[in-house]
Amino acid sequence: MQAEIIDNIRFTTISPDMIKKMSVAKLIVADTYNEEGYPIDGGLVDQRLGVIDPGLKCKTCGGRAKSCPGHFGHLELVRPVIHPEFSKTIYLLLQSTCHSCHRILLTEEQVSDVKAAIKSFFVEDVPDENGTTVDITSLATTIEDSDNRLALFKKLKAVKKCPYCGTVQQKKKFERPTFFYLNNSRMKPDEVHDWLSKISDADVKLLGIDPAATRPEWFVLTTLLVPPVNVRPSITLESGERSEDDLTHKLLDIIRINQRLEQDIDAGAPQIIIDDLWELLQYQVTTYFNNETPGVPVARHRSTRPLKTLAQRLKGKEGRLRYTLSGKRVNFSARTVISVDPTLTINQVGVPLKIAENLTTPFYVTLWNIDEAKRLIQRTEYPMIINVIMKDGTRKRFTETNRDEILKALEPGQILEKQLVDNDLVLFNRQPTLHRISIMAHEAKVLPGKTLRLNVSVAFPYNADFDGDEMNLHVPQSLEAQAEARYLMQPKLQFLSPRDGRPILFAKEDELGGMFFLTRDGAEYSKEDACRMLASVGINELPKQTKDGTYTGKGIFSMILPKDLDFESKTSSGRIAIRKGELIEGVIDEKSMGGGGALIIKIFVDYGPDVATAILAKTSRLALGAAAQGGLTISIRDYYNTEKLDKERKIIADQVEAKAMELVQKYKEKKLDALPGYTRKETLEILVMAQLEEARHLAEQSLQKELTTENNAFLMSKVRARGNIVNMVQMSMFLGQQAVRGRRPSRGYSGRILPYFRKNSSNPEAKGYIKSSFFDGLSPTEFYMHAIGSRDSSMTKSLITAVSGYLQRRLINAMQDFYVDENSSVKDASGALIQTVYGGDGVDPMKERVAKNKMQKTA
Amino acid sequence: MATERKNDGIDVVPGEAVGVIAAQSIGEPGTQMVLRTFHSAGISSVITTKGLPRIIEIVDARKKPKAPTMEIALEKDIEKKYEKVRSVWRAIEEVKARQLISSFDEDLKNSTLVLHLDRDKLNFYETNGRLIASRLAKQEGVHVELVGPETIKVKFKGKTVEATRRAFINVLGATVIGVKGIMKANIQQEGESFYIATFGSNMEEVMAIEGVDKWNLYSNDIFEVMRVYGIEAARNLIARELATIIDEEGFTVSYRHLALVADAMTYDGTIRSVGRHGVAGRKESVFARAAYEETVKHIVNASVFGERDFLKGVAENILIGKQIGLGTGNVKLAMNKDDLKKVKGVRKKEEAKEKE
Repeated sequence: MQAEIIDNIRFTTISPDMIKKMSVAKLIVADTYNEEGYPIDGGLVDQRLGVIDPGLKCKTCGGRAKSCPGHFGHLELVRPVIHPEFSKTIYLLLQSTCHSCHRILLTEEQVSDVKAAIKSFFVEDVPDENGTTVDITSLATTIEDSDNRLALFKKLKAVKKCPYCGTVQQKKKFERPTFFYLNNSRMKPDEVHDWLSKISDADVKLLGIDPAATRPEWFVLTTLLVPPVNVRPSITLESGERSEDDLTHKLLDIIRINQRLEQDIDAGAPQIIIDDLWELLQYQVTTYFNNETPGVPVARHRSTRPLKTLAQRLKGKEGRLRYTLSGKRVNFSARTVISVDPTLTINQVGVPLKIAENLTTPFYVTLWNIDEAKRLIQRTEYPMIINVIMKDGTRKRFTETNRDEILKALEPGQILEKQLVDNDLVLFNRQPTLHRISIMAHEAKVLPGKTLRLNVSVAFPYNADFDGDEMNLHVPQSLEAQAEARYLMQPKLQFLSPRDGRPILFAKEDELGGMFFLTRDGAEYSKEDACRMLASVGINELPKQTKDGTYTGKGIFSMILPKDLDFESKTSSGRIAIRKGELIEGVIDEKSMGGGGALIIKIFVDYGPDVATAILAKTSRLALGAAAQGGLTISIRDYYNTEKLDKERKIIADQVEAKAMELVQKYKEKKLDALPGYTRKETLEILVMAQLEEARHLAEQSLQKELTTENNAFLMSKVRARGNIVNMVQMSMFLGQQAVRGRRPSRGYSGRILPYFRKNSSNPEAKGYIKSSFFDGLSPTEFYMHAIGSRDSSMTKSLITAVSGYLQRRLINAMQDFYVDENSSVKDASGALIQTVYGGDGVDPMKERVAKNKMQKTA
Repeated sequence: MATERKNDGIDVVPGEAVGVIAAQSIGEPGTQMVLRTFHSAGISSVITTKGLPRIIEIVDARKKPKAPTMEIALEKDIEKKYEKVRSVWRAIEEVKARQLISSFDEDLKNSTLVLHLDRDKLNFYETNGRLIASRLAKQEGVHVELVGPETIKVKFKGKTVEATRRAFINVLGATVIGVKGIMKANIQQEGESFYIATFGSNMEEVMAIEGVDKWNLYSNDIFEVMRVYGIEAARNLIARELATIIDEEGFTVSYRHLALVADAMTYDGTIRSVGRHGVAGRKESVFARAAYEETVKHIVNASVFGERDFLKGVAENILIGKQIGLGTGNVKLAMNKDDLKKVKGVRKKEEAKEKE
């Protein structure tokens, strides 16, 4: 099946002649259906324009509702009207030409200059529809050209006297949306039409318009193209009543006014009445094209809902371009809630049987696999064939009854649609798809249940959690798509982030906590425990025994490392050293196995993605085992303060408060100097805020000093598993200063937040300083302050997603066409050179860290 | 040279859609950034815009940054001598006439303004009435006269009282010490040497001050850098500013992505914003522009001038349902049809056909 490939698309305007040629019916009746519900001839749903009712036949092509593509009609406007979208262009043309002789306001010399200037922008000739070469001076294809043209229009506007007939140019004025004035007297659309049609083809070309494609007078409408009925279908309501499309409503208005205008003209009505109607016709046409034209009242439906006319159909997020044309809908996809399955590998996705039964992969029947195909057709239960795509592209549903028929007709070239089975590659995606690792290819694993399942470790690149998140699944159909999925999109191949070359798969949360238990100095396990842990990762050997007959955690961990691994690096708590696959010193922590972990990169570089993912999986299982063994949990006891801590927190809170009060006092005595760009009041706020924030910092320090890893909550924050020290401070010390937009909260009653406080008080407690901890509980006023701060941060969060989403859309739109050429240069779609060598050195950012590692190796 | 480096498997692959990757790499961490303007409070107290707002400011190519700042390096021979650095600093921080007076008398009838300078303040800024009078004289259309050591008389003949009034306000707001626009300058120490950090930016004038190392000036005002040092400097500044902000937020984004954004904004020699008035709004393809923003405007203009869309970019091909020419779509495969015949099954089939 060879599809026609579109080479290019040209935009032009339609001439009245063309409209008449395209039209199959001249519409004259301002009505749709008669009493019997049958389309009226010459009405807006004339059967020559196509049909939408299932019982009727199109009078032009004889097709039924489904097969008739629809045909255009037209209506003749009694008086010409301005096309509102072109009014600005019309104004430019009027300004560029003489009102008396209608020639361009350029001397012969200037004309040749313009020709030379514009020509230089074109590299090659562009052939027109008939294959003949168009005079390129008239064709605008580049942005630079349109800039050039704008400059030309500007110059022409300033010309005072026509160089040909010598007429002094009168003032030309344009008033939105469609009014033109010459010397302050209104020009009717027919006068404008007259003027524009008198501009010569040669002059039109100079202005950048190709007269073969667009004549200026076409910007003034004399006939109106009416779109086919299936562009504006009516809906039949339950009551049997018909509800017409907005466009039909608008067209009805246009015909109605057009007829009244015609009658009045024929009847010789006074000029004022005719002008009024003419203007009304102009209004109807204007809103027909764009119901959001500035300066025009919005046309409304009976229910006061604004009508959605032509421009509105195209525009914006829900418009034709972005919603319908760019937004593709696909088959072979599924969506449901996700959940975890630790037994799956990183590369797998668990697919519910119900989904697997409905999704299919293509089985291309060839000479070589026709027997296999026959066997598949014989099957009566999962996995079986669902559809057969015949050679002509028609899809036949496979049923019990037509099996023999299908078997008989089976031949190479047909495609069988087979239910999804284990190890089929599928694409897995979570929205928002912020980066490319939000879509990866997984091997399907068909499972009972109703959720899609994944290994927790791959939840990170998708930014997924399991509190009800849903994800999408797509089955690639063509061989090319399958190959791309297999060789480019699998998680193990996406091991490094294209953002910074750090691993996207690494140990986190409880894995880090567990690793700490397992590999800390003095961690020893009995033979049973060691066997159990190692068996869980499929190892049936034991490490070296210690003197006491136990096994060290370091030794157990070393079992999963390659035997020839040598590694050394700094960690957050000292040093880590691995000799010949043996962890001899240090604790495995975030710096080695966490995000950006040096050990992971090392393993990935030296042993490849398969080994790296395997070791990560084993690390995870070992660590979780160790965490369970060690009892990694938190309780309220972790937040009990020692007497010393309790004393310290009071001292810190009071000290800081006193310092802040000092500042307030200084401000009151006008001894506080303003910071540049701020008033004194603001300066006070900034300084006090900084002072109070300092409290949190001090509290952190005393916690750090006092607590040990005996405290699980502290341990978790220390090994970067979950929670940070600030959470601990808030729970056991005090909450500290609340903030609204980075300042102390200030609004509420006049001069104070709550009537509890004194007016205009700048005291810390009156402005959101909280001395209690979550453990203590908050006082009513503190609770209120905390609520203010929480509200602000939740508002900020929702705002930032909108802002950064738009930033990303803009960035992508600006740069989506950039690609690396064969010589490492970066070009865009038009071939413009963006960078001579990508990034200055042609190195893939995804591999830059690997490169560093490699260089260190050789050095 | 880059082209001579041995390919060790770390080069970008031809066809790679580096633009999209760069955009995603900057956009993705954006959701986790702060949306606030920070003030690094303390003694230095230089206000800077940080986080997402600053990224947007750069990418939008705003004409003036919300918080312009400079870092001024000093000539090698003075950068370690505090006193000399201090005298340079004096010449940089802006002081307005208003800040030096104790009071003023305005006589609109005779169009005169008498400024009474504050001696303490003059001493503090190490200046005197004469110097100030000479700086004020640079104001347009004013006649300045030093009446006493601390008294300056300013005359202005305005056509209207309002014009005179306005001129006087201008005189009061005139820069008498330092560089216009440098609202605050601080001497900072780095190792043994000093440099000057400022709030406000004015490269043209700061460069001219003696003692300033004009090869080591830094400003975060992109347009100013372009005016003074040219487009390449502006490009580097865009990339560097982006890198600084992202780094401050605690994210890592490869410099290559940031450099690509900077190049996309500057490759034609001017600074263009990312967005409808810049890079995205000036693409060649009508469809790409229409599918982005201002749909109707782009389609109407295209039809007036008979524009042609050659369907080369990503957006256009998504629209019409054709394969995109990036990545794997960038590669074409050529095959010799005769070689097909060597394949066993095909030959059989062909032979069968011939028999028929």
